[in-house]
Amino acid sequence: MSAPLLSVENLSVDFHLKRGWLARSLTLSAVRGVSFAIEPGRTFGLVGESGSGKSTIGRAILRLAEPSAGRILFDGADIAAGGRRTPLAYRRDVQVVFQDPLSSLNPRQSVGTTIAQAIRRHRRSSGAALEKEIAGVLDSVGLATWQAKRHPHELSGGQRQRVAIARALAVRPRLIVCDEPVSALDVSTQSQVINLLVDLQRERGLSYLFIAHNLDVVRHISHSIGVLYLGRLVEVGPAARVYGAPAHPYTRMLLASTLVADPRVQAERSRARRTLPRSEPPSPLAPPPGCAFHTRCAWADETCRGGAPAFCARGGDRLVACHRLEEIERCAH
Amino acid sequence: MKQLLLTRLLSVAPMLLLVSLFAFLLVHATATDPVAQILGQGASAADRAEYARKLGLDRPLAEQFLAWLGNALRGDFGVSLYTSLPVAESIRERVGVTLSLALAGMAFAVCCGLPLGIAGALRQGERADRLLNVLVSIGLAVPSMWLALLLSLAFAVTLRWFQVVGYTPFAESPLEWARALVLPSIALGVHAAAVIARQTRSAMIEALHSRYVQALRSRGLTRRRIVLGYAVRNALVPVLSVIAIQMSVIVGVSFVIERIFAIPGLGTLLIDSVVRADYPILQGTVVAIACFVLLVNLAVDIAYGLVNPRVRAD
Amino acid sequence: MKRLLQPVPLVCLAWLALLAALALGAGAIAPHDPHLPAIKHRLASPGALYWLGTDDLGRDTLSRLIFGARTALLASFESVGIGLAAGVSLGLAAGYLGGWWDRVAMRLADVMQSIPALLLALALIGVLGKGLANAMVAVGVIFAVSFLRITRAVVLAEREQLYVDAARVLGLRPFAILLRQILPNIAAPLIVQASIALGTALLIEAMLSFLGVGAESNEVSWGAMLDTARQFQSQQPLLPVFPGLAITFSVLAFNLLGDVLRDAMMPAGTAHPRAATLAPAAPADTPPPPAAEDALLAVRDLTVAAPGGAELLSGVSFHLRRGETLGLVGESGCGKSITAAAIMGLLPAGVGVASGSIRLGGAELVGLPESELRRVRGKRAGMVFQEPVAALSPVHTVGRQLVDAVRAHEGKTGRLSGRAARERAAELLAMVGVPDPRRRLDDYPHQFSGGMAQRVVIAGALACEPELLIADEPTTALDVTIQAQVLDLLMDLRERLSMSVLLITHDLGVVADACDRLAVMYAGQIVETGTVEAAFARPRHPYTAALLAAMPRGEGSGTALATIPGRVPPAWDWPAGCRFHPRCAHALPGCAAAPVALADGVRCRRSGELHLQGTA
Repeated sequence: MSAPLLSVENLSVDFHLKRGWLARSLTLSAVRGVSFAIEPGRTFGLVGESGSGKSTIGRAILRLAEPSAGRILFDGADIAAGGRRTPLAYRRDVQVVFQDPLSSLNPRQSVGTTIAQAIRRHRRSSGAALEKEIAGVLDSVGLATWQAKRHPHELSGGQRQRVAIARALAVRPRLIVCDEPVSALDVSTQSQVINLLVDLQRERGLSYLFIAHNLDVVRHISHSIGVLYLGRLVEVGPAARVYGAPAHPYTRMLLASTLVADPRVQAERSRARRTLPRSEPPSPLAPPPGCAFHTRCAWADETCRGGAPAFCARGGDRLVACHRLEEIERCAH
Repeated sequence: MKQLLLTRLLSVAPMLLLVSLFAFLLVHATATDPVAQILGQGASAADRAEYARKLGLDRPLAEQFLAWLGNALRGDFGVSLYTSLPVAESIRERVGVTLSLALAGMAFAVCCGLPLGIAGALRQGERADRLLNVLVSIGLAVPSMWLALLLSLAFAVTLRWFQVVGYTPFAESPLEWARALVLPSIALGVHAAAVIARQTRSAMIEALHSRYVQALRSRGLTRRRIVLGYAVRNALVPVLSVIAIQMSVIVGVSFVIERIFAIPGLGTLLIDSVVRADYPILQGTVVAIACFVLLVNLAVDIAYGLVNPRVRAD
Repeated sequence: MKRLLQPVPLVCLAWLALLAALALGAGAIAPHDPHLPAIKHRLASPGALYWLGTDDLGRDTLSRLIFGARTALLASFESVGIGLAAGVSLGLAAGYLGGWWDRVAMRLADVMQSIPALLLALALIGVLGKGLANAMVAVGVIFAVSFLRITRAVVLAEREQLYVDAARVLGLRPFAILLRQILPNIAAPLIVQASIALGTALLIEAMLSFLGVGAESNEVSWGAMLDTARQFQSQQPLLPVFPGLAITFSVLAFNLLGDVLRDAMMPAGTAHPRAATLAPAAPADTPPPPAAEDALLAVRDLTVAAPGGAELLSGVSFHLRRGETLGLVGESGCGKSITAAAIMGLLPAGVGVASGSIRLGGAELVGLPESELRRVRGKRAGMVFQEPVAALSPVHTVGRQLVDAVRAHEGKTGRLSGRAARERAAELLAMVGVPDPRRRLDDYPHQFSGGMAQRVVIAGALACEPELLIADEPTTALDVTIQAQVLDLLMDLRERLSMSVLLITHDLGVVADACDRLAVMYAGQIVETGTVEAAFARPRHPYTAALLAAMPRGEGSGTALATIPGRVPPAWDWPAGCRFHPRCAHALPGCAAAPVALADGVRCRRSGELHLQGTA
């Protein structure tokens, strides 16, 4: 196991919501004490539903959101070491692909301008050399050179997402934060973009932080998976194990709720999920005390209401935060 | 709802303070020296200093402001430099007239603008709607004073349905008061009516194309019920903000309309004070009218809260 | 820029060009000296010497109008220029710096706006002294406030855009982002607003001059001419006509130009449907799909056309049995939602059924008048939508909306009392699993989570116990765990109320979970129908097989996902022959030759020879 490229240690992010002139401001703890690491050339998948804080973690790594506690190390160095300024080298190393490709591309810039701007911020390049570089980047995401003249609204959803990937690739990053990159796409386009990301990783040794709500998609692309619930990680581990044998009750619920295009497998999942308690997720503004999941958990008892569970190891490199893990496992067998 | 009311009421106070500060500084930033203005060029330096001291102009600006504000809070805006009458008195005499005129103009604008806008949205693209769009464009472009002249020429001078000029207070004769306000309020309200019609039309069109209207249709509600029960109320949300802005415009334009129909409102007082650099009157009028506009905005805010539950909840 | 070549903007531009020419060349063009009194000709009517007559001092009206154009334009451009310069820079600063800068700027703007524009102008004139230049500085200050607001609003909106985040992640400098990413987006609304402001400035100049505090006596202003007209109109009724017209036309020209610019600068992206290249009619589907005896809904050869003639649906046929759930599957743009809208009689304006039939419980729906269709909607067929919160009126309580749904189909006799209707609404909420239903009737939609709002929408659709429920992507906008709960609810209700469900979705997982049969749509046609079991185990159309293969199914990233190249073509550009052939891995040259009919539940010439991979 090599040294991690990026490690997130005890990260917390709070937002202060203003409510008028007189009302007290509310604090939304979007992320609470999250730790994980991404190794070079690997993909770490973050799964969670809306309000789980998954995008906020990505934004904190990109320095678009300010952590209230904890730190983020890249190549072993704290990315906040330089204060509010972010070194240009970090901007080159870490790039982003957002969910909605239409709003993540400037509507008034052509594809070529967008990519040229990225290249020129980090390298001296102009004229024919720049043209050639743009053509090369477009080619690597499966777009033709003539498409450099197109504007975002002239492209399809899948093509826009390719442009967003090209913009990230243009500065030759080592880590790309992919924030729900395929959830706005149709099935057929979704698979094209996933394949592209996998191929690029293989060719260039890129690392990904892959953020999504669909466990199947995350499983497909990730080496490790972290499951988030109301700002906390509840389970982390190798993708095959988290997906194949989920330990935390929430991961189980998530898997049971994920629909598959196979009537027989799906019939089993449906049966499993119909045994689960039905409840609404609580508001992230007022997370339940103790284990935040206890309001929706079939196993919850007094201990779960009392205090937040700590991580415990489950077979090597898997961590699960649950008070009643042993009872659950005993019953499952 | 209570909290909304409270926060809005409280936010009016700092606004008023800022308006007062603005009105105060307005005069003190001036290049024209009020003392020279009053005493004329021939006055001796000693006379001027004496007069300046009498007016308190030799004290620091902050002190002058506090003194002025303190007096203003007690309803004392000083005396006119020309007539030597108390400013508050002059304003009090005329403010009712201006309010009558402005509110009548707004009533006309709302009564015309809302139904026309709704009708246009319901007939979107049809001949009636295109005609409405032409009328709205013209309504937005016609200067109110010209309209007033034409109305007066047609209905007062030629047809003699109304008096050409003049105003009767409500207390004297409500009927005459209303009669005197007909032509001025139409002249005043046409522009605002056009603005309101245009905003209502686009808000109604948006509402009629919304997903919830489709859902209401899918449940088999009649068109009448959907339009009157749902679309109109949704469309009212943006229209209310426009009405608030137009109220302020109408108050301003009423000064012009006053002149045409010789209505003794704040406008005449104000224009005289501008021409004569009678700054206490200027200050007092600015504060009084800003007060009125802020109150109207407050009322609209509250109406907004009644229509829009999301505002109420916060 | 094509829109500027339409008649209305051309007339506006021509008028403004004329004004500009008159203003510039006033001295040379005007037939008389605008200031020269000729008392013996005072208040003359239009004639050979004075084309538009004279005023009280015998000055030529036409010449004064021409010189007035100079004053009007100069004043307008001066004030708008000042407003733009001050407003845009302050707005950029307030919007981009945010924090205290922003708060102070906005408080000041609020104060300025609580003082009527004309009053502010009068006050500033009182301070700065009379005269047009001062007056227009005052007006400029007022415009600055409105330009400040627009600029700030655009900056704030653009700052939230993901592309600005992406630019920050690229390491672009803040100033570069402001200048190159944000500023260009402000240009369009500013140009529009400036055009309208020019008109407003012209009006205000006229008003100030009318009041005698604007243009000086040695300047000519249309407003001042109106004031003269006011005093002498009883003697010469034509006096107010010409200056009034001049002001009206000029303001109108600026306003209309602003409107045209607004339309022209709307962000592109709405593709203009071109005239459809009419594909040759498909041969009749052989054999015609059996109109099952027990079919509740039977759609046959349904063709729906858009205004340009493009066929959104071409010969769609399927049926839905009583108590059954049929999944209508396909990518976006294949015509699923149009099919639903056609059944409900809710097609968008201009779009209409060109041919075919929709029978619900034996009764034909195509061609029914709106009043009859209304009786079907809600009573016999209910509908559930993709974005539940958008499907509820935001300013009405949930209870009011449910009560209206309950009462939508009551006749003149047998009206429910208000209390009974409310009781029924609470029952409905309880039925769809909303906790504490009585209390929640008084809540507004924004107080419901997405999942709960979808339950409310379902309750509304079921208020009159329809036999058919059409659910258009009912779970797509919901979280994974909630999506499963809503699907379970729908299936549960189907059984309890013995309904049939037409479930429209792009998610084959939803179909696997909830449907008995499926109909796969591609490019406005049904390409395959069959039971879910059979179609998933052994798809017969390459499109079905490709959709199934594209879904990740829990393998690691070692395996590449199958893909479908390209995308669904737009409705005016359906390919000739088999509509899927350009994207099909199994296409042969013959596939492009002729349209393919739906035969034995599949629309593929090669269905007999292909052995396609399913999921099982």
